[in-house]
Amino acid sequence: MNHCRSWEHGWSRRRMLGAVAGGAGVAGLGGILQPAAAEEMARNDKQILLIWLDGGMSQLESWDPKPNTPFGGPFRSIPTTLPGIHVSELMPKLSRQMKRLAVVRSMKTEDANHSSGVPKILRGQPRNRGVTYPYLGSAVAKLMGPTESGLPPYVWVKPGNGGFIAKHAGFLGAKYGALALGDGKPPANLVRPDSISAAADAARQELRRKFNRQFADRRRANFNEANSYVYDVAGTLMKHVELFDEAKLSEKDRRRYGTHDLGRHALLARRLIEAGVRFVQVTSYGWDTHGDNFNSHASRMPKVDQSVTALIEDLYDRGLDERVLVVMMAEFGRTPRINGSVGRDHWPNAWSVAMAGCGIRPGTVVGETLPDGTDVKTTPYDIGHMFHTWFSAVGLDSAEAEYMNGTQPLPIAHDDMHKVDELLI
Amino acid sequence: MRQPLVLLVACLAAADGSNLVQAAEAPLHQVIDRLVESRAGKQPLAPMSDDAEFLRRVMLDLAGRIPTVAEARRFLGETAADKRFTLIDSLLSGDDYPRRMQELFHVMLMERRGEHAEWTKFLRYAFNQNLPWDRVARAMLSPDATDENLRGAAYFLTARLTKEGAMAPVDVPGLTRDVGRLMAGVDFGCAQCHDHVSIEDYKQVDFQGLHMIFENMQSRGGEFPAVTEKVMTKPREFKSVFTRDPRTTPLRIPGAGDVSIRTFPKGEEYLVAPDRKAKRTGVLKFSPLRELAGGLATGKNPLFARNIVNRLWFVMMGRGLVEPLDLFHSANPPTHPELLDRLAGEFVLHKFDIKWLLGQLARTRCYQRSSRLPGDQPLPPRSSYTVANQKRLSAEQLFWSTLVATGEIDRVKPATDDTLEKVVARTESLVELQKQFLKTFSNPPKEPEVDFAPTVKGALYLMHDQAVLELVKPRPGNLVTKLAAEPDTGKLSEALFLAVVSRGPTTADVQVVAKLLENKTGAARIEAIGQLAWALLASTEFCLNH
Repeated sequence: MNHCRSWEHGWSRRRMLGAVAGGAGVAGLGGILQPAAAEEMARNDKQILLIWLDGGMSQLESWDPKPNTPFGGPFRSIPTTLPGIHVSELMPKLSRQMKRLAVVRSMKTEDANHSSGVPKILRGQPRNRGVTYPYLGSAVAKLMGPTESGLPPYVWVKPGNGGFIAKHAGFLGAKYGALALGDGKPPANLVRPDSISAAADAARQELRRKFNRQFADRRRANFNEANSYVYDVAGTLMKHVELFDEAKLSEKDRRRYGTHDLGRHALLARRLIEAGVRFVQVTSYGWDTHGDNFNSHASRMPKVDQSVTALIEDLYDRGLDERVLVVMMAEFGRTPRINGSVGRDHWPNAWSVAMAGCGIRPGTVVGETLPDGTDVKTTPYDIGHMFHTWFSAVGLDSAEAEYMNGTQPLPIAHDDMHKVDELLI
Repeated sequence: MRQPLVLLVACLAAADGSNLVQAAEAPLHQVIDRLVESRAGKQPLAPMSDDAEFLRRVMLDLAGRIPTVAEARRFLGETAADKRFTLIDSLLSGDDYPRRMQELFHVMLMERRGEHAEWTKFLRYAFNQNLPWDRVARAMLSPDATDENLRGAAYFLTARLTKEGAMAPVDVPGLTRDVGRLMAGVDFGCAQCHDHVSIEDYKQVDFQGLHMIFENMQSRGGEFPAVTEKVMTKPREFKSVFTRDPRTTPLRIPGAGDVSIRTFPKGEEYLVAPDRKAKRTGVLKFSPLRELAGGLATGKNPLFARNIVNRLWFVMMGRGLVEPLDLFHSANPPTHPELLDRLAGEFVLHKFDIKWLLGQLARTRCYQRSSRLPGDQPLPPRSSYTVANQKRLSAEQLFWSTLVATGEIDRVKPATDDTLEKVVARTESLVELQKQFLKTFSNPPKEPEVDFAPTVKGALYLMHDQAVLELVKPRPGNLVTKLAAEPDTGKLSEALFLAVVSRGPTTADVQVVAKLLENKTGAARIEAIGQLAWALLASTEFCLNH
C-alpha cells in the first residue's frame, strides 16, 4: 500500500487547478497555481462515509415500498417522521430518522451485471474516454487528500481479507487505492512487539530520519519523501491502534450498532471518521437475492436499520453531520417482478439511493416510481448526477475541476450530467 | 501524426535488420555518451560516482544484490585503471547473473501473476546460455512442447489464460494486450472495441488482427505449460462500437502488418497430425502462433528491438527513452530518437545479445555518474541522464541484499562455497523470509513494477516483523555480533556502513554512531548497534539503487 503525500497532493492540485484555470495541462505546473484555491482545499475538513450493500438491496423492501400491488411482496409500509412518506416496515428505526435523510427514488442506471455494474456505479460511470476511472474513494483520496490527521485517505472496511487494493485507483495510479481492513482488522504488523520498547523504537526511527536526511541532500527529493511518508503513515496508524481494539468499545455502542458484521464495521467506520480518515467505505456482501428475497431481506434489513440508525444518531450527537456525508447504495435495485424462486433479480431501471449529513438537505425525497415500481415516473437520475451532487456537498466543484491523465484533462464526474439541487442545502 | 501503425513502422526502418545501421567504429557505450551529453546541453552534470557508489549500483543491476564486505573491500582496494570494466565483465559471467536476469525478466514479463517451476527453469536456462532475445521471445510466443529446456516458456501465455473466479471469463483480450505491451511496446488495450480515442496510431484492426491468434489457441493443461491451436480458416470479423461498420482482418502483427491466412483442404491442415492417444498436439501447416513469433520476434520488426532496448535502458538508467514503456507511438517520441535507433540497430547487429547490451550500458559515463549533484543548481530532469536516476529495488533485490547486509548469510552458511540461492533453499527460516519479502514488497499481480512505490505495509513489516527483527539481534556470526566485538567506534562505523549501505561512513555518520554508543556498555550497547543496523536497513538509501 502507499498513500499520497502532501507534496504530491500539492502537485496534483496544482495540475488540477492549472487545468481549471487555463487547460494548460502538465505545462502549467506551478505557474498557474491559484494559491487561494489550493489553501481552501487543504483546509477542507469534509469527509465521506459510503455504505455499500453489494449485490443489490431491494428498493421495494426499503426506501420505495409498493404494498398491496402485484409486485409489492409481503411487507407493509410504515409512516416516517416525514409527513406523507412511507418506507418498508423492515426499517422502523430509519423511519424515525427520515427528517435527517435524503432519498432519491428515481435512480435509473444502465448496467444490470454485478461484474461490470459495481465498478460502473463506484466510478460514477463517466463517459468512456478509454481510461479506467477511479472508484469514489480513490477519487476523493486524490481530489481532497488526507485530512490533517495524516491518516490514509481511503479506508475500506469489509468482510474477508484486507490488504491494499490498488486497482480501485484506476488511472490515478496505485497510490490512491484503498487500505482494506479485512473484517475490520488492522493492517499486519501494526502493533509494536513487546521486544522493542517505545524508547528503543523512537531511537531507531530518529536514526533512520537522520540517515535519510543525509542521503536526500542534493539528490532528487521525491524518492526519500515518498519513503519517509509511508513510515509517517505507519506511525500515525499505530497511534490509532485503539481504533482496532474492540475491548475499548462501550457495551452500549456495541448493542446499538449490533454485533453482526455490518454493525461492527459501521461502528469502526464511525471511529475511523472521528479519527480523521477522509473516506471510509463499509461493505456488506450477499444482497443478491435471486432466491428467497423476502426472508433474506427480513433478516438483513434489520441489521442495516440498526447500524445505520446508530451511525446517523452518533454523527448528529457529535456535530459530525455538518462535515460528514453519508451515502448508502448498491450497484442497482431489484426487479419488481418476483421470480419463480421467490426472488427478485437485478433492476437498474428504477431504484433508490439514500444519503445524509454534510451539504445534504435533510428530510428530502426526490423522485417517484410508477405505482408498480417498474420504472421511474419523474426525472430519472443516473449515478453521474449523484457524483456531481456528492462532490458539491463536500465542497468540490465538479463542473469545473478536472483530473489530468498525462496531458489529457478528464472531468471528475460525467460531463453531460449535473448536481441535483433539490438534494443540496 | 495521423499515420496508422504500419506507416509508423515504415518510418522506423532505420532499425530494420534488412537496412542495418553501419557497425559503429566506436564501441556503443561511447556513442551513447556522445549522444546523451550532446543532448544534455547546459544541464548540470554530476561527477562520476565514486567506486563504492558504482560497485553497489552495478552489483544490484547485474547480480541482483549488494556486495559483501569482502567484495567491497577488494574492489575499493584495487588500483587498476580499468577495474570498473573488469568488474562489469566478471559480473556478467558470474554466478549471480543468471539468477538476477531470471528474477528481472520474471517480474517484467509475468507482472507477479504467479510462478511455475517450468517457467523458472526456462528463464534460468535462457540466461545461463545467454540465449538471444529473439529466440527467447519466440519460445514464449510459439512454444515448443518437445523442447524440455524451452517448453516452460508457454507459461507466458498459459498464465494469462486462467480464470479468476468461477464467473469470470478467461481474459484473452488481456493476453493480446500484454503481448503488444511487453513484446512490442504498444498497448492496444483500449483499441479492442474501437480505434484508440486518444492515440492516433492504435487502431482497432491492430488489436483484432492480433487477438484472433489468441482466440484460436488454448491452454492444453498437463504437468507443464503448453498450448494448442485450432485450424484457422477465416479472417476475423469485427465492428467498431462507434461506427458499427462490419470489417474483417487477417492476422496482424504489431510492427509487421498483415499475414494472410493460408488454408488447406480438409484433412491436409497438418504437417504432423495430432494424435490424441499419444497426447501429441500436431504441427499445423499454418500456425498463427508461429506466424506471430516469426513476424514479431525478428530483427526485421522495428518495434520488437526498440521495445526491449528501451526496457533494458530503463532497467539500467532508471527511465525509459520512451515512457510509459508500453506506449510507443508517433505522438510520444523518444527523448533521444537517434540514441534509441542506435541501440536498437546495434542490438539487432549483435544478434539480440542481452549480456552484451547490458555490458555496454554499464560502461557508459551516463550509467556511472553520481546520483548526487553537488553545488546549488536545481536537479535536472530525469530524462537528461546527467545525474544518475534512483531506481526501485525489486522484492528479490531487497531480499538478497538484506541477507548480505545483516550477515545472515554468514550466520547460516557453512564452510562450503555454495551460492546464496542454495544456502537459502536449504534453510527453512530463510525460505519463509523470502516468501514474506516477496509478499510484502511486490506490487499486486498485473501491476508493472516500474515506479518506486514504498508502502505502509512494507514499513510496518520492517518495523515489527519478528523475523526481520531477528536479523538485527546479536546471533553468532551475524553483523551485529561482529560489530559488538569491535571496541573502536570509527572501525565499527566503517564495518557497519560498508556492510549495509556498501560505502564508508561520512564524518556525520561517525558522529551519529559515536553519540549513540557513548557511555553504553553490554546489552545496551548491543541494542544500540542493532538500532543502527535497523535504521540503515529501513533507510531510503538501502531500499533504492541510487
